[in-house]
Amino acid sequence: MSKSIGIFVTNPDQFKHVLGITKAAKAKGASVKVFFTWDATHNAKKEAAFPELCKIADDVSICADSYKNMGYDIEDIPEGLDASKMATQAQHGIIIEDYDCYLSL
Amino acid sequence: MEYNKVCLMYRNQDCTVDGIRSALGLAVENMYAYGCVMDEPKMEKFNELQAESLEMLRDMEGDVFATKASNCELNDLEPITIEEIGEKLRDMTHIIPYGIIKA
Amino acid sequence: MKILNVYRSEPDDTTKKLVEIVSRDRDADAFDLNVDSPDYDALVDKIFVADQTICWW
Repeated sequence: MSKSIGIFVTNPDQFKHVLGITKAAKAKGASVKVFFTWDATHNAKKEAAFPELCKIADDVSICADSYKNMGYDIEDIPEGLDASKMATQAQHGIIIEDYDCYLSL
Repeated sequence: MEYNKVCLMYRNQDCTVDGIRSALGLAVENMYAYGCVMDEPKMEKFNELQAESLEMLRDMEGDVFATKASNCELNDLEPITIEEIGEKLRDMTHIIPYGIIKA
Repeated sequence: MKILNVYRSEPDDTTKKLVEIVSRDRDADAFDLNVDSPDYDALVDKIFVADQTICWW
């Protein structure tokens, strides 16, 4: 059975690794969930490849509260996401509870 | 049932504030959640909301430690050494070096 | 217990101390992400066989 990887992103400078690991894991048949929090939510607006990540990964969400704290309007949903992916820290709990492998970046 | 034990470690002020919120979020999900303010950050005094988060985390059997006595005194955190937090990490199911390092 | 220590930057003394304690008497592997072109394929293979992956600052 294929593995699953959950990635919790807290550092805004790690996006290229998030994308690289997601691509490599998907190529091996793994399912990948990514959750961005605090200043890593800048990635959703500032990284050109963010919509691509949303297409490749099985699930991508961001902490809506963090996004608001970073100065964005939560109605301004980043490309690649929908309103249901403007989420809470519960997404981090799901990664820990339900995924085989855990990474924090 | 085996419960997850998670420790988040913070090395700058901004990350500390959000990281404690993250720890609280995990405690709410029935995990043992801990935070540790490592040696670098010079903390600011918690506001009422942040102090409440710490209290709620402790109510759910979590805690926040700090390696600097000044931070412990300022925000009522549990003192710990680098060696002691290292030993605690051995017992964790998930270890999270949180955010970025800012001196 | 198989631990995978992933380094996102050059480890300082604090990180080195924590890695030493966490890895003591355990089967520990390492991966350096702090290079120009990390081999993500190799990293994912290591993640899959590890019981715990720790991505240090």
